[in-house]
Amino acid sequence: MTGRIELPQGTVDLLILRTLLTGPQHGWAISERVQQVSSEVLSIQQGSLYPALHRLERRGWIKAKWGTSDNNRRAKYYELTRAGHKQLEAETEAWRKLSIAVEQVLEGA
Amino acid sequence: MLDDLRYRARALLHHNEVESELDEELRFHFDREVQKHIARGMSHEQARRAARMEFGGQEQIKEDCREARGTSFIELTLDDAKYAIRQLIGNPTFSVVMILTLALSIGANSAIFSVINGVLLKRLPYPEPERLVRIFLSNNEYPKFPLNPWDFLDFRARNHSFDAIAAFTRGDVQLSGEGEPVKLNGFGITSGYFRVLGLRPQLGREFDFNAEIPGNGLQVVISDRLWRTRFGAEPNIIGRKITMNMQPFVIIGVMPAGTEHPGNEYHSVAYGESVDVWWPFSFAGNSNFRGSHYIEGIGRLKSDVSTERALAEMNAIMSQLGREHPDGDSGWRVLVIPLYSEVVGASRQMLLVLLGAVGIVLLIACANAANLLMARASARQREISVRLAMGAPRLRVVRQLLTESLVLSCLGGTVGLLIAFAGVRALVALLPADFPRANDIHVSWPVLLFTLAVSLATGILFGLVPAFQASRTDPKDGLQKATRGTTAGKHQNRLRNALVMAEVGLASVLLIGAGLMLRTFLNLLHLDPGFKQDHLLTASLSLPHAQYQKSGQVAAFYERLTASLSTLPGVESVGAGSDLPWTGYDENSGLNIEGRKPSPGEGFHARYHMATPGYFKAMGIPLLQGRFFTPADKDGSFQAVIINHAMAQKYWPGQDAVGKRLSFEDNPKKDSDWLRVVGVVGDVKDQPNSPSAEPAFWWPENQQAQPDMSLAIRTSSDPRQAIDALRQAVREQDPSLAVADIKLMNEVADSSISTPRFTFALVGLFAGLAIILAAIGAYGVISYTVGQRASEFGLRVALGAKRGDLLRMVLAQSAKLAIPGTIIGVILAMSLGHVVRGLVYQVSPTDPAIMSAVVLLVLFVALLASYVPARRAAATDPMTTLRTD
Repeated sequence: MTGRIELPQGTVDLLILRTLLTGPQHGWAISERVQQVSSEVLSIQQGSLYPALHRLERRGWIKAKWGTSDNNRRAKYYELTRAGHKQLEAETEAWRKLSIAVEQVLEGA
Repeated sequence: MLDDLRYRARALLHHNEVESELDEELRFHFDREVQKHIARGMSHEQARRAARMEFGGQEQIKEDCREARGTSFIELTLDDAKYAIRQLIGNPTFSVVMILTLALSIGANSAIFSVINGVLLKRLPYPEPERLVRIFLSNNEYPKFPLNPWDFLDFRARNHSFDAIAAFTRGDVQLSGEGEPVKLNGFGITSGYFRVLGLRPQLGREFDFNAEIPGNGLQVVISDRLWRTRFGAEPNIIGRKITMNMQPFVIIGVMPAGTEHPGNEYHSVAYGESVDVWWPFSFAGNSNFRGSHYIEGIGRLKSDVSTERALAEMNAIMSQLGREHPDGDSGWRVLVIPLYSEVVGASRQMLLVLLGAVGIVLLIACANAANLLMARASARQREISVRLAMGAPRLRVVRQLLTESLVLSCLGGTVGLLIAFAGVRALVALLPADFPRANDIHVSWPVLLFTLAVSLATGILFGLVPAFQASRTDPKDGLQKATRGTTAGKHQNRLRNALVMAEVGLASVLLIGAGLMLRTFLNLLHLDPGFKQDHLLTASLSLPHAQYQKSGQVAAFYERLTASLSTLPGVESVGAGSDLPWTGYDENSGLNIEGRKPSPGEGFHARYHMATPGYFKAMGIPLLQGRFFTPADKDGSFQAVIINHAMAQKYWPGQDAVGKRLSFEDNPKKDSDWLRVVGVVGDVKDQPNSPSAEPAFWWPENQQAQPDMSLAIRTSSDPRQAIDALRQAVREQDPSLAVADIKLMNEVADSSISTPRFTFALVGLFAGLAIILAAIGAYGVISYTVGQRASEFGLRVALGAKRGDLLRMVLAQSAKLAIPGTIIGVILAMSLGHVVRGLVYQVSPTDPAIMSAVVLLVLFVALLASYVPARRAAATDPMTTLRTD
């Protein structure tokens, strides 16, 4: 568990949306993927993953469908909606701005 | 936005589906996690444990998901409510006891609130009623007295405080010519009377100033009810002539339905739609003679004038008048009383006492419910521990338990509302006949809101403490100890004992109150009224002036009528008098007494009545000295007068009053100016609860004819059998006369004590409810502790304790709760004594007999309530109880 960072809520939403850009995924796969891609640094705990999925679904950014997983079990797949795509763009943009700004402050101080 | 709503709606409507999907989703995640760990080389067991560690509290995740769905509040509440209902169904005895006790106390509160709302809170049915005031006079002898007409005219002309003032006086009329003659409640009113009230006729107009001029008075305004019942709601009624008191009156106006009489003091008619005709008040005479007081004032204050300012101005006018007419107008003060206080003033204290009593019942019910909940919460400790251990936050448990108590209180409130509907109907039927605004009492919207608010407040009040107590359960303790009953902390036991003590104390207060009301009622019931109310039929007659203009005609009529009535079979004696006891009669006269001078500033005066020779005998009023009137006391012989004992005591103390003389002339000289006392009769008070009888005297009807008389007919058997014969006898004398107010004297006497009876019945009912609730509370606590101490009892028995010892131990525990409770109750009752002082009669609010009776009763009930659990304790089998440990 060392080296992992607990994520603030807004970032969890961004990471979920980004992960779904490659196609529909179920909850477990989303959290695995985030962990892999971030080289085991970022991890979304179940306690924040599922409430976040439900919240995003309510906002209409993702929608859920039941499908069959690779090990032949029924699983709930989430995919980006059109609104979700837009939201992802906007949030990515905002995140970039924020991180550049923070970087500048850290560098220039 | 639309998506959002659709999503939330699905989450709510397909709640179960959504929940099971969530379960499945989380299970899937968990299984994948386990597989992942196994793939990395963990054993099956290790993998599961690792996954569970990562997962954390599953309940918490679900809770957060529900919240994320944005429907958690409603969902949770519905969930909790469903769960609560399952719990209640699982414990039917507990639930029924809880709901019934809550229903009774909430229902009683709603019923009393219906009365309070209708009588005290609802505005009077006039526009801007807060500007309406009643105007009276007051002096050292008469605290509240009618106005005399000349003073009224001067008030009306000189004041600047009122938009308008008007005067009115009772004057019933006999309507004939349209079917059976009837006597109607009537009032003489000055012009502007309805304008003061803010009411307009639905047809025609009200009287103008011209109608006040003597001779112009043959006009009448009638009520909506009379218009409909007697004249078939004829739209062209204005201008029609009707025969009242044998004279032709022209109808000039019809008042709308809902025209309520503002109430009056002098010959009073109850507040409400109680008046059918209004005729123009007019008077004539010498404006310097101002001793005759018989009209009542009512006024509408200007919008920027306070009652105090109006009062100050009216008193300034009164002192002016006192200087201008020192004979009649000096020594008077003006009273300006808001109409609202005048209408509800007398009932207000009683209603507030009832509200207090019923509020106490609700408090007891709350204490009781809290107690039962706490006992049950400790029995449910295991269940609560499991929930806490599964990761449910404490607040969540509090919320669940609070929902349970709210479900209970709302169910109680719903059943209570049904009780209130029935109760209000019963209350209105029980109300004293002269109770103000009784027609305004029903279960209305404010009452429904009140019931809802009371139900919610009750649920929170009795649920909050037990809920927090229960949520403080330590899951470890709960799970370990839960196998064998439970042990509530010392703290909780203390709290429960305190609640029972409070219940017992409050119930004692109500019982003491009920005792006082019962004593009052019995005192009034067993009071020697000074007359005999059984076997006595009464009725009233009024002879129209148009036909009976000479006093000789009036006297002759009553002589003939009483003579013919006394020949009827079963009739023992017959008389007629200007009034009947206990009906609010109040006519007073100043007088001179031979050989005595009044002290300055205080004249001799007494209440006057008229009577025929048979009146006292028929009424059952005893003769103490001298003689009754005889037919020989008539014009031509000396003027006779009969006085009561109180008058003899006041004006001829220690002397024989018979033969003494009095006069109504200012300077009596001739023999004919004097009246001679021929008899002294026993006292009759104004009302059964009046402190003492007023000095009074009677004129013989034959010498001082009074056209409006009450008949008293004493019979040997049921007086109702004489009713037809009475009507027949009156018809034979004069077919145009209406016989009104046919009643048994029993009924008159009965209605005069109806207020104390009503108060006693309700306070008694509430006290009964209170003591039952307190008994349930005591039973609950005692039987709970008996259960708790079962092993201790077993040990004691095993060590040789006798069954009787255990019985005594438990009863002593109950006494330990009841004794401090009753002490608190007695202290509370004594400090609240002043609240009921105006409602009790001839009993001190701290009456020691009542206090001790209540203390004994409460202790007895407490011991009775704990007897069953005590028996159970005494029957303890040491083998079973010790083995369970």
